[in-house]
Amino acid sequence: MKRILLACSAGMSTSLLVSKMEEAAKAKGIDAEIWAVAQDKAPEEMKRADVLLIGPQMRFMKKKFAVTAEEVGIPLDVIDPVAYGRIDGQAVLDKALKLIGD
Amino acid sequence: MINESIDRIAFQMISNVGSAKSLVMEALYAAKEGNFTLAEEKLAQAKEYFVEGHKVHATLIQKEAAGDKVDFSLLFMHAEDQLISTETINELVKEMIELYKRIDN
Repeated sequence: MKRILLACSAGMSTSLLVSKMEEAAKAKGIDAEIWAVAQDKAPEEMKRADVLLIGPQMRFMKKKFAVTAEEVGIPLDVIDPVAYGRIDGQAVLDKALKLIGD
Repeated sequence: MINESIDRIAFQMISNVGSAKSLVMEALYAAKEGNFTLAEEKLAQAKEYFVEGHKVHATLIQKEAAGDKVDFSLLFMHAEDQLISTETINELVKEMIELYKRIDN
């Protein structure tokens, strides 16, 4: 089970991305839990995630999130603005899996 | 189909103006460290992203102005919210950078 956490402002836009990623995971037969939260909830939620992906609008908070990510020992990165703009669930899922490392 | 396209427009807006917002904040962080050259670069990059986001938004405005009704979408409203907040933050950050400059001199 891969646990993928997405963070953005209000967790609203990434919610749609979550459904696209879930579709992509299902199509590939990957067992994944994918969920989106608002940026203020992210540090708490990171404790039960394998990876954190940040929306491009929250990139400036990467440093802040990186501190918690290191504490809980998970990788993090910013979602590519192009993949985000296209709601490309497949590309974002691939990135998450690559970060987890398999 | 209509919703699908408005979702895509909303995402393109959020992606572009959101990247702009991040760059604006990074410009402010750079100014805080006294790196005004980097701050200016970040602001210039932010402007490029913002203009792109604005262009996407304008296509919808033009569509509606032409009599082609645009359906309401909460996601699109959220995208407009991001656009407006980025515009506000951008104007304020430009002034705040000037303040950092004054302090540093």
